[in-house]
Amino acid sequence: MKQTKLLNILAKVKSFPSMPEAAAKLLVLLDNNDTTAAQIEQILRYDPGLTANLLRLTNSAYFGRPCQVGSVNQAVVLLGWKKLIQLVMASCVNAVMGKPVLGYDLPAGELWRHSIAVSVAAEDLVKELKIAKSEEIFTAALLHDVGKLVLGGFVKEDLEKIEIEASRGISFEVAERIVLGTDHAEIGAQILKNWSFPPTLVNAVRWHHDPDSADKTDTLTDIVHVANILCLMIGIGVGREGLCYKPSPLATKRLGLRTNDLEMVASRTLQYVDDLCNVFESR
Amino acid sequence: MRHVVVVGDMKVGKKEDSIVTYALGSCLGLTVYDPVAQVGGMLHAMLPLSRINPQKAEANPFMFVDTGVPKLFKKIYSMGGQKARLIVKAAGCGQPLGKNEIFKIGDRNYTILKKLLWKNGILLNARDIGGTGGRTVYFDLSTGRTIISSKGLENEL
Repeated sequence: MKQTKLLNILAKVKSFPSMPEAAAKLLVLLDNNDTTAAQIEQILRYDPGLTANLLRLTNSAYFGRPCQVGSVNQAVVLLGWKKLIQLVMASCVNAVMGKPVLGYDLPAGELWRHSIAVSVAAEDLVKELKIAKSEEIFTAALLHDVGKLVLGGFVKEDLEKIEIEASRGISFEVAERIVLGTDHAEIGAQILKNWSFPPTLVNAVRWHHDPDSADKTDTLTDIVHVANILCLMIGIGVGREGLCYKPSPLATKRLGLRTNDLEMVASRTLQYVDDLCNVFESR
Repeated sequence: MRHVVVVGDMKVGKKEDSIVTYALGSCLGLTVYDPVAQVGGMLHAMLPLSRINPQKAEANPFMFVDTGVPKLFKKIYSMGGQKARLIVKAAGCGQPLGKNEIFKIGDRNYTILKKLLWKNGILLNARDIGGTGGRTVYFDLSTGRTIISSKGLENEL
């Protein structure tokens, strides 16, 4: 029975939409240190919708630029091409992450808002903790819950069973695994693998609820783990399962995280999210 | 009129109004109601103490329990509410699983609320505090009824 369920879930993962072409091409550039603005422009030239979104994001209050940016070239100069590629990724996944999510009871737009929130909170945590910054943090945070889009329908079907398991005081993703044979973190990692994402990024998504179980612990995973729980706590993307997740004491220790750091980041996150999300909502 | 209170926000109303706030996690949801004057308000505060980010507190006092709660009471008094008649209810202040002190923002929010109320001689009439559930609070100002929805279930507070 559980085996059939798992097979059905994996079939759904296979039929999940592929990564938008422009995003896949840009992701390759992100790993390459010789990327030029011209290369990025070349890719975006064939996607006017994406370019428009990118410029909207660049001009959002989040970046606080005094003047309007009108071209991809200008945006590269102002933000740096790595940040720019991250913004393109954000606009690429907006369509798919903006849908309502079954099972977790997230209304339309809420998973998207949560994804953006975890991304900005993750970047802010890195700054607050003075940790060396990895370019992949924004993207890993942005996509950490992509598995919920596939698993949601199955969670809904077995919600009662999963909730009974979770009511014993275990984390919701552990309850998912007991009933369904997998969890949304594993499914998310599988989707990113299918999209040919780099292993560190796949890893961060795979272990975002259980960073201590990864083969090798990683700051990227620890940061996404903490940022995710923080955003749920402040009510951004908190679904039916509520706060039924467990922050890892080892991860907070590895990061040297203190109460003040967490509350400081919380106090700034909301504004950042509003600044970035308004770009998409005001269309 | 139906008011929506977002995170770090406060709304007040009277008689036929209703106030709602969605997705309380660790945040505090506080309702204050005067059944005679039929005025009431709701606060959705995120963090316990404003000293963590005074600049934010200046721009938005409702983000913090220590600055938001006094503002809510003052506003209700200015609308004709009287201290002796007020019905005060608290919801939210949830926690993730485990005993990680750093993540006990909900606990700290509730502690600061209790201190503030105690200092001002105000008692909580009802509360639905803690646990892992996310909460939505509906507050009807014609009756003063407060309904909490969590994990698909609705209960009156």
